[in-house]
Parts: sequence; C-alpha cells; structure tokens
Amino acid sequence: MKNFDRAREAYENTPIPQELDQRVRAGIQQGRKNRRQRTVRRWLSAAACFAVLVAALNVSPTIAKAAAEVPVLGGLFRVMTFISYDASDGGINYVVSVPRLESDADLAGQVNAAIRQRVDAHTARARQDWADYKEAFFATGGTEEEWGDREMDVFVGYEVMSQTDTQVSFVVTLAEGWVSSMEERYYYNLDLAEDRVLTLQDVLGKDWVEICNASIQEQIAASVDEEGFSYFFAPEDGGFTTVDGDTGFYIREDGTVVVAFPRYSIAAGAAGTPEFPIG
Amino acid sequence: MGCGKEEIVSHTQTITDYLIENQNQFYRYAFSCLHNREEALDAVQTAVCRALEREGTLRNPDAVRTWFYRILVNVCTDALRVRSRTVPFPDAEVSYEDPAPEGDLARRVDGLTPEIGTVIKLRFYEELSLKEIAAVTGCNINTVKTRLYTGLRQLRVTLEGELE
Repeated sequence: MKNFDRAREAYENTPIPQELDQRVRAGIQQGRKNRRQRTVRRWLSAAACFAVLVAALNVSPTIAKAAAEVPVLGGLFRVMTFISYDASDGGINYVVSVPRLESDADLAGQVNAAIRQRVDAHTARARQDWADYKEAFFATGGTEEEWGDREMDVFVGYEVMSQTDTQVSFVVTLAEGWVSSMEERYYYNLDLAEDRVLTLQDVLGKDWVEICNASIQEQIAASVDEEGFSYFFAPEDGGFTTVDGDTGFYIREDGTVVVAFPRYSIAAGAAGTPEFPIG
Repeated sequence: MGCGKEEIVSHTQTITDYLIENQNQFYRYAFSCLHNREEALDAVQTAVCRALEREGTLRNPDAVRTWFYRILVNVCTDALRVRSRTVPFPDAEVSYEDPAPEGDLARRVDGLTPEIGTVIKLRFYEELSLKEIAAVTGCNINTVKTRLYTGLRQLRVTLEGELE
C-alpha cells in the first residue's frame, strides 16, 4: 500500500539501542527461572502439607544443606520456615514463606518481629497496588474482556546463605510482579553467641570501606565489554560511589563476604541485583 | 502427562530462537507505542520474560508470531495504562473525534487511539493478516475490520481493495 510505504520506512528506521540484545537475553533467562518456580509452585499446591519442606529443599541447595544440618546442630539456634503458604485470592497469587529464627537470644526475637512487620507491610501494599491498578484499568476504559486473566504475584522467600554454630547469614526477598515488578532484599548477618548484628567492619576489619570500594570499582571496570558498554552507571550519573553502614551483604559458606546492591540502584535493571564478592 | 517433556524442550528452543532473531521488530513496535527508549526496552524484556514463563500456552509452534505479539501488545497497552494514571493524555478526547491530520502519515498513525493504532500498525507495519490481528488482540475479525476502517478514515487514507 503506497500511502504507508514512507510511514513504514520511518518505522523501520527506528534506531535500535545496542543493549536490546542483552535485554532480550536477560528476559529469556528471567522467564525460564520464573517458569521453574511456577512449576514448583503448581506441584506444591497439589501436594500435601509436608511437601512444603521438600519443595523448599528442591528450590535452594543452601536451604537443603542448612536443613540437613539441623539435627546435628547442637548449637544455639536454627532457622526454620515459620509461615508458608501458596494461595490465590482475588487475582493475586501468594507464594510466601517467612523464616523464623529459633534461639534463646534476645536478638532473635527482635529480628523475627522485624521480619514479620516487613512481610505484613509488603503484602498490604501489594494488595493496595493491585486494587489501584484494577481501578485505573477500568477507569481508563479497560473492559472485562481485556482484563482477562491478569494476575499479580506476591512473593516472600528467604535463603540461608551460610550458617555456623553461632552465626547465620540469610536474605529475605519480598517481591511483587505484575505490569512492572519490584523486589526488595533484606540481609541479615547475626552472631547469636554475642547477641548482635554483624557489620561489614566486623567481618572485614577497620579498613572495610577502602577494601570494599577498591574491590567493587575493580569489578565494575572489568564488566565493561569491548564496545565500552556496561550495565553500571557512571558515578556522576548515580552509579556506585562508596559502601556505607546501610550497604547490604551476606556471607557465603566458604566465608567470602558478598556485598549486594538493590536493583536499579547502581546499574540498569537488566543487571539484576548487582553482587560483588570481596577479596 | 507422559511424553510432554521433549515437546516442551523443543518449543523452548523455537521460542528462544524466534525472540532473538526478531528482537528489532519487537523493539520498533514497543517504541511506536510508548515513544520512550527505556520504556520500550522494559516492555520488550517484560514480554520476552512473560513468553518464556508461559511457553506452555503455545500449542502450535507455527503460531509463535501471533502468540508472542499478543503478549507484546498486552504489555505495551498495560504500560500505557499505567502511565495514564500519572500523566493524563491531554488530547485523548479530541483524537477520538479527529486525529488532526497534520504532519506525515507516520506521525498521524502515532496520534491514533491505542486500540485503533494497534490494528493499523500490525496490519501495515508488521504485515499481519486480519485473522492474525484478531488472534493477537483477542477481538473478533469484524471488530478488527471496523477498527481498521475507522483508523484509515481518520488517517484520510483510501484503500484500494486492500482488505481481502
């Protein structure tokens, strides 16, 4: 159709951003991962109650290991799943498993309360977001037919990164997925013998800021590809400048400290949650 | 249950190959809806992710194109809706009446309402058949024809026996 030839030419000349390929591949990976989780979830709802634990064991090698260690752990504490459910309500799919620290230490009680509070706030906000979205959808002329089978996912999960007789390092993930998705991670590094929260200074020594910054800058520099492209923002564009007391981290089984930043905070969303092993 | 596994594996490969090969086209479509580089990139990534999550819903691998465009069109429409919560479309009312036929055709296509613009773009830019457009948009074929004619009328473009 002649009329459209020029218009189509303009359309086909839309400049293609060079990161498109990386974004597509990131989407593929992300989708595959989510699909695996969905499969687990579907299986989960069909199975009996005790299967919750088995599924969790399948999901995370780290949890599996931690759980296997529980019986021989004559230590001070254990981490267990306190609440776990997989339910659907009003178009929202909940996949929730909330950890709880079992210990006599005062710290455990505080941490458990803080986690509960975060989880409650998260699910309440997710419900509000969903209600707002639905309202806006119909208010802007959306029809029931178009609404179709839209669903929102609310996810709460945790992963024990490492555990010794007295210390534990775990991360709690709160996520919401629909049109866009958001994810928050909270890192807990605790010493139950001394009843205190471990800081980067505790695990890396008094020069922790310099040690972290040097290592992170080196890794960011190494991420630049041959075309000069990197997911990381330049420092002047809101990229990485320095670690501080609020920087999240966890400790691997082998003792390596891993510093982690929220998605979008220092790099494009496609980079996910940037993590840097230190040392 | 039974034999499913191998089938799913081969579908995954079909989908992945298709997505990587045609990514420029997806971006163009997303950009033409959203007119914003970052939002268009996000939309493509979201649609790709969703496609892999729902690969089980692709029954016929030959239909991968319409199957994926349906996802992409929905993601873009959703993104527009979310945006309209915060940034109202100032000319939305007017454009239903008369899309102000100024500027070149490409610009006027951008001025169409999302429902009509989608049909026009899929037909003339992506060259989908009316039947495919019906599958992509989830409307019946008569609705698609109505939107196509409405769009063309608003664009002041005449058709020369183009439809059948």
